[in-house]
Amino acid sequence: MAQQEDNASDQQADRSLTMSRAMVEAIAHEMRANDEVFYMGEDVADYGGIFDSTQGLLEEFGRDRIMDVPISETAYLGAAVGAAQEGMRPIAELMFVDFFGVAMDQIYNQMAKNTYMSGGSVNVPMVLTAAVGGTYNDAAQHSQTLYGTFAHLPGMKVVVPSTAYDAKGLMHNAIRDDDPVVYMFHKRLMGIGWLPAPDGPKTGVPEDDYTIPFGSADVKREGADVTIVTLGLHVHRALEAAADLADDIDVEVVDLRTLVPLDTETILDSVAKTGHLVVVDEDYRSYGVTGEIIASVAEAALDDLEAVERVALPDVPIPYARPMEDEVIPGTDDITEAVRTARGDE
Amino acid sequence: MSGTDDRVAVETSDRWPDDADETVGVVVNWFAAEGGHVAEGDAICEFQVEKVSVDVPAPATGTLEEIAVGEDEEFERGHRLAWIRPA
Amino acid sequence: MVAVNELQEMYENMVTARQYEERLQEEYLEGKQPAFDISAGPIPGELHLAAGHEAAGAGVCQHLRDDDTVTAPHRPHHVAIAKGVDLKRMTAEIFGRESGLSGGKGGHMHLFDPNVKFACSGIIAEGCPPAVGAGLAAKQRNTDSVAVAFLGEGAIDQGAFLESLNLASVQDLPVVFVVEDNDWAISMPKERVTDVENGAQRADGFGLHGARVDADDAVAVYDAARDAVGRARDGNGPSLLEVQVHRRMGHFMGDPEAYRPDEDKDAAQQRDSIERLEADLRANGVDDETIDDLRSRAHDRVEEAIEWAKDQPEPDPDDAYEDVFVNPPSGVTDSEPSTADTGGDD
Ligand SMILES: Cc1ncc(C[n+]2csc(CCOP(=O)(O)OP(=O)(O)O)c2C)c(N)n1
Ligand SMILES: [Mg+2]
Repeated sequence: MAQQEDNASDQQADRSLTMSRAMVEAIAHEMRANDEVFYMGEDVADYGGIFDSTQGLLEEFGRDRIMDVPISETAYLGAAVGAAQEGMRPIAELMFVDFFGVAMDQIYNQMAKNTYMSGGSVNVPMVLTAAVGGTYNDAAQHSQTLYGTFAHLPGMKVVVPSTAYDAKGLMHNAIRDDDPVVYMFHKRLMGIGWLPAPDGPKTGVPEDDYTIPFGSADVKREGADVTIVTLGLHVHRALEAAADLADDIDVEVVDLRTLVPLDTETILDSVAKTGHLVVVDEDYRSYGVTGEIIASVAEAALDDLEAVERVALPDVPIPYARPMEDEVIPGTDDITEAVRTARGDE
Repeated sequence: MSGTDDRVAVETSDRWPDDADETVGVVVNWFAAEGGHVAEGDAICEFQVEKVSVDVPAPATGTLEEIAVGEDEEFERGHRLAWIRPA
Repeated sequence: MVAVNELQEMYENMVTARQYEERLQEEYLEGKQPAFDISAGPIPGELHLAAGHEAAGAGVCQHLRDDDTVTAPHRPHHVAIAKGVDLKRMTAEIFGRESGLSGGKGGHMHLFDPNVKFACSGIIAEGCPPAVGAGLAAKQRNTDSVAVAFLGEGAIDQGAFLESLNLASVQDLPVVFVVEDNDWAISMPKERVTDVENGAQRADGFGLHGARVDADDAVAVYDAARDAVGRARDGNGPSLLEVQVHRRMGHFMGDPEAYRPDEDKDAAQQRDSIERLEADLRANGVDDETIDDLRSRAHDRVEEAIEWAKDQPEPDPDDAYEDVFVNPPSGVTDSEPSTADTGGDD
């Protein structure tokens, strides 16, 4: 039996998956293993998730566990909080993270705070999944990442995968975690036919379950000269920039993978080596991820820092028209330029 | 398994959506690489026609010897997408 | 009784909306075939078409003046046309051009035309509270203008809508809530998300006037709206008007509608309020020539708008930094920070 499994997983090394399929595989695995796991959201049953987040799950698990709900985010996200407090393991999906405002009280005053306010006597083992990101001209109400907003408010673990391999391991961990986890998947990385992904997020994915612990950033490319710290879609843009620069500058790319908890150690190690830090984020510039990473490094290792750059969305809502959206969402060129600036060669 | 070493073609005709008038599809994703092992029935690629995504199962277990239509490439209905050498 | 010229106006609005969207659909699909890539072509991003909804927009807006406020949801074109939104600039907005209503910042889900007091939101039910606010302003200022919020039947399970009903009712505000019931919220059929078949019954729970009408008969919509708008204008408080419409297309362009039974799709095609209104016109003595004239006027207007829009320049990328505030306070990003300003020190 064990032998067979080994054979099986050898063979599966040949298999690569899109990010959405990897997420779905982890969810299906957890649902098979634990009857208390269920998924609710808008258009998650017959449609399989607008961004393929639940493709095929209805067929296997039925409507009681793959649940379409009314457009009532406060009610159903809050219901997930309540069911989680009863000990179940709900996964509740916010179709676009931009809709969080409709239900924010349930998210940050209930889900995120009940553990603390109860002195740890109550816990909320739920996963809130949400699609994030722009790059396809869906304008200001459907393109944000809002990473910083969720990471800022205490009480939620915040996960942002950039590859299929990571997405699966992080999803297993998220469902098994005893705390509320916000799992933010970038639409552009899911591998959907109508929203083509860049090269990179589709990776080999073992068929067996595995977890990626939270708070473990991943060095996606090693380099000696400049550290880029980033997450989500911009991991791939940073890798592209690093490849473009490879003849001149040896760039290291650190993928945060989780914002809460934050793996400062991996960042500090990298900066100790390179001395040059560029932080790249698809969220708004002010009061966000870029400022937080730079402040953390400055606090802990100011002497290691020779130069700092940040590349983020300027403080404007995301415009619709292509030239303007391209202008505000950091592109590979913006990253290349920031790396060169950090190295002092403009 | 047939036992011969003839290659098996990966075909899409029987997977084509019934209500599609369009006869051109686009390969969206390959889940296996050339030289990789595939198992009969596992989805090895996905194509899109008239905005519908369709999975293509491997017709045989073996080695994916040749991919004829790469990702983002268009193909006519009936065109072979790949060849598998059965194991 | 409806005057024949009013029927003709409604007919022209409805035909304009239908033809407009047929042309938009063609333009939208350009660059998206055979591979449907949502970010490709002259109109990127989501596009929600309203074929089958036209009578709701035309029948209600027939009773509105330029100084009456309308808020529309993500499916706004037919309402915008009936409200008299500048068609050329609306089209330029949808094409993301500089001379668009918002200079390309909003796109098709976020159309704003203050000249006729028209606005949209892509967040479900979130146009309702601002409509209540417009009604509040009218009441406070003692004008006889009214406010109308359009929303889908999927939106009536949302807190923002229910709270708005209550606020408008308790303050006797001149507001009409128009629910366009097309039986579907993306992939979720109405019966799976609410136990109340007649959405107008929501009115009973909040003490306002409620009515439900079938848009197959545009004249019936006209009559019901005359009553609701008349009450509001005369100081007799808000109403909830539910209009049965049909979704002749997918939820958005690119929706394969795999979840929708063929009979339901066919049924939506069978029932056409435009054809029925045309029969009503003939029954009222309007001759073929007049009907042909109305149709060709609609056709010319649509073609003119689309040709004009496509000739307009794209916005400058730097336009993205304008309009965050009308009165930008100092210290706020109004252009992309140059990396040189914050750059490295080596
Ligand atoms: C608060 C919020 N939740 C979810 C969505 C995603 N969404 C967009 S349209 C839609 C369905 C709306 O259905 P309905 O109100 O019936 O309008 P229709 O599309 O049928 O015209 C949903 C769920 C959203 N835009 N806003
Ligand atoms: Mg609807």
